[in-house]
Amino acid sequence: MTSSWRTVDTDVLVIGGGVAGCMAAIPALEAGLSVVVCEKGKVLDHCGSVGCGVDHYLTIMDSGPEWDTPEFLIKHVPELTDGIVDMAVTSRVIHEMPKVLRKIETFGVNFKDPRYNDYYRLRSFGLPGTYHINFDGTEFKKHIGQHVRKLKGTVLTRTMAVQILVEDGRIYGTIAFNFRTGEWLVIRAAAVVLAAGEVNRISLNASGNAFDSWHCPYNTGDAHAMAYRTGALLTNMEFVETTITPKGFSAQGLNALVSEGAYFINKSGERFMFKYDDKGENARRAVIADAVINEYLLGNGPIYADCRHLPEDILDHMEATLQVDRYTMPAFYEQKALNFREEPVEVSISELSIRRSGVYFRGSGLAVDTDGQTSIDGLFAAGDCASVSGGIAGASVLGHIAGEGVATFLKNHDGARPEIDMEEANATRDQAMAHIQADEERNLSWRNHEDKVRQTVTNYVGVRRNKKGLQLALDTLLALAKREPELKTDDLHGLMRVQEATNIRLNAELMATAAMAREETRTGSSHHRLDYPQSDDTNWRKFIIIEKGEDGPSVSTLAASEPLATKFTRKNVPADNDRKILKSAV
Amino acid sequence: MTDPVHNPIKIDPEVCVKCNLCDWICPGDLIYKEEDNRETLPEVVYPDECWYCGLCQSICPVDAITVIFPEQMINCKTDVTTLLGKLVE
Repeated sequence: MTSSWRTVDTDVLVIGGGVAGCMAAIPALEAGLSVVVCEKGKVLDHCGSVGCGVDHYLTIMDSGPEWDTPEFLIKHVPELTDGIVDMAVTSRVIHEMPKVLRKIETFGVNFKDPRYNDYYRLRSFGLPGTYHINFDGTEFKKHIGQHVRKLKGTVLTRTMAVQILVEDGRIYGTIAFNFRTGEWLVIRAAAVVLAAGEVNRISLNASGNAFDSWHCPYNTGDAHAMAYRTGALLTNMEFVETTITPKGFSAQGLNALVSEGAYFINKSGERFMFKYDDKGENARRAVIADAVINEYLLGNGPIYADCRHLPEDILDHMEATLQVDRYTMPAFYEQKALNFREEPVEVSISELSIRRSGVYFRGSGLAVDTDGQTSIDGLFAAGDCASVSGGIAGASVLGHIAGEGVATFLKNHDGARPEIDMEEANATRDQAMAHIQADEERNLSWRNHEDKVRQTVTNYVGVRRNKKGLQLALDTLLALAKREPELKTDDLHGLMRVQEATNIRLNAELMATAAMAREETRTGSSHHRLDYPQSDDTNWRKFIIIEKGEDGPSVSTLAASEPLATKFTRKNVPADNDRKILKSAV
Repeated sequence: MTDPVHNPIKIDPEVCVKCNLCDWICPGDLIYKEEDNRETLPEVVYPDECWYCGLCQSICPVDAITVIFPEQMINCKTDVTTLLGKLVE
């Protein structure tokens, strides 16, 4: 199977062609740089988490009222994140929201509601204003992908990055393979943007189908894993995210449901959310999830989403837009023979993901500075793999910031790339290809391996944690790591899944390690320690930072009042790194 | 338990125009169609890795594709409390 290498040279490599990756590619292309996007999907217009559509976009619009200004939202970010958030990066993201929104509109995205020929804005998830534009984003990603192609970005499709390459603390490329052709590539790049999304397929869900996930099941923490292996700093990895979904189908749609006014009721018909939060169903996602979990644990399940009280015009709008976030949602209700207008819909918590812990702006993944650059020189990150995340708006804005950051970085730095260490490249390829080559010793399937990770995470690293359970999980996950050389697959597609399975396991280990370190409970379901049931601001208003140590993950902390970049020891940190920390930041 | 052979992507061979778009759009690399051959049908090679996103159905120019949910999704019997963790004393 081993073939010769294809070498690709580019100024900028973007790993992941979703919203964040495309939005990073655009400013780099506009600056005249060559850009290669490496993507597991086949078509840029429809890949990533919102390739099949999206119906909400969180943004400041400067429309007049005080709540619609960056300063107002920034002031509320600490309470939205329970005090653990990088305010420097978040402030820049919020300030750039209006500019990026207008730019996306020039790509052809229509954020206006045809009923009013205006923006239809709704409140949800504890936000202190109607920040979400509710819109028909069926073609949102298509317009952004088309713009990258229009600017002549190069797209390598059905291609998976296996490992990024770092020398002397500076990124210089990646090793990847095309799982349709079997071609192996070394991509030499002067700067790299990681935009490979969050970590899914990491726990069990109600349907028992691992690929039935709220967000893209092909996002498997590839960025986190590759960056961790090269020494990058990751943060907030202890926090899990879950949402509320119709039982049996982990689809998007909670935002539309709660912002349009649906209630959650328990088996007795009690509308229980106000017991948990004075915002009721408009509480933050992590709080809604924790409330539903608690009701189930109290024996008050099944829990239902109830729309029966809503006026006809709202129900009509909900029905008409049911397919915007997930094209197959109407088919699901139809095949289930369920009419959500007349019957409550039984709900479940979704599977877990490592993403942004059910709150906006606190992302779980690569720590980045105000330019989107990570702790490794020339390595940037954006979207759901970065330390500031906020849905497609967060991905759009931080992606755009990272793309501009790359352009500035390459203006100020030597763009020369070192020669690829072919010995390392060959070793990486040989190690991967060994999974596909006949070997009697290897008989472990990636499905079986992943199932064990999911069972372990669900039982001991999920929404209810304690020290003993986390230790048991870590022991299991380390034992599973030792078996990874035995992973066997028959084809190139399976080889991609093997890579994903090992990345998922590594991320589960990082999550369990960080969860063990945080000896408190914070943000509803996202970190609930049964042995430390209270939030402890005195000792734990801190980031947990995780990096590769000599014997596995090494944990340190940083006061959450500091920017994460304080921890960076890059050679080329600009002296004015903090220049964009705004006075309005708390 | 999961029916391992459930195929969520039903392609009507009588209607399919063998155009390649479903292979092209699938984010999970599940559907394989021989390129430049108008005689062969697309094949769902990895049905158990489907996200149920419906992109294949949405892009099919002749509505030859229907997404069919399996019994464990339509009529899910899972006790939600089994997803909420085990307490190790």
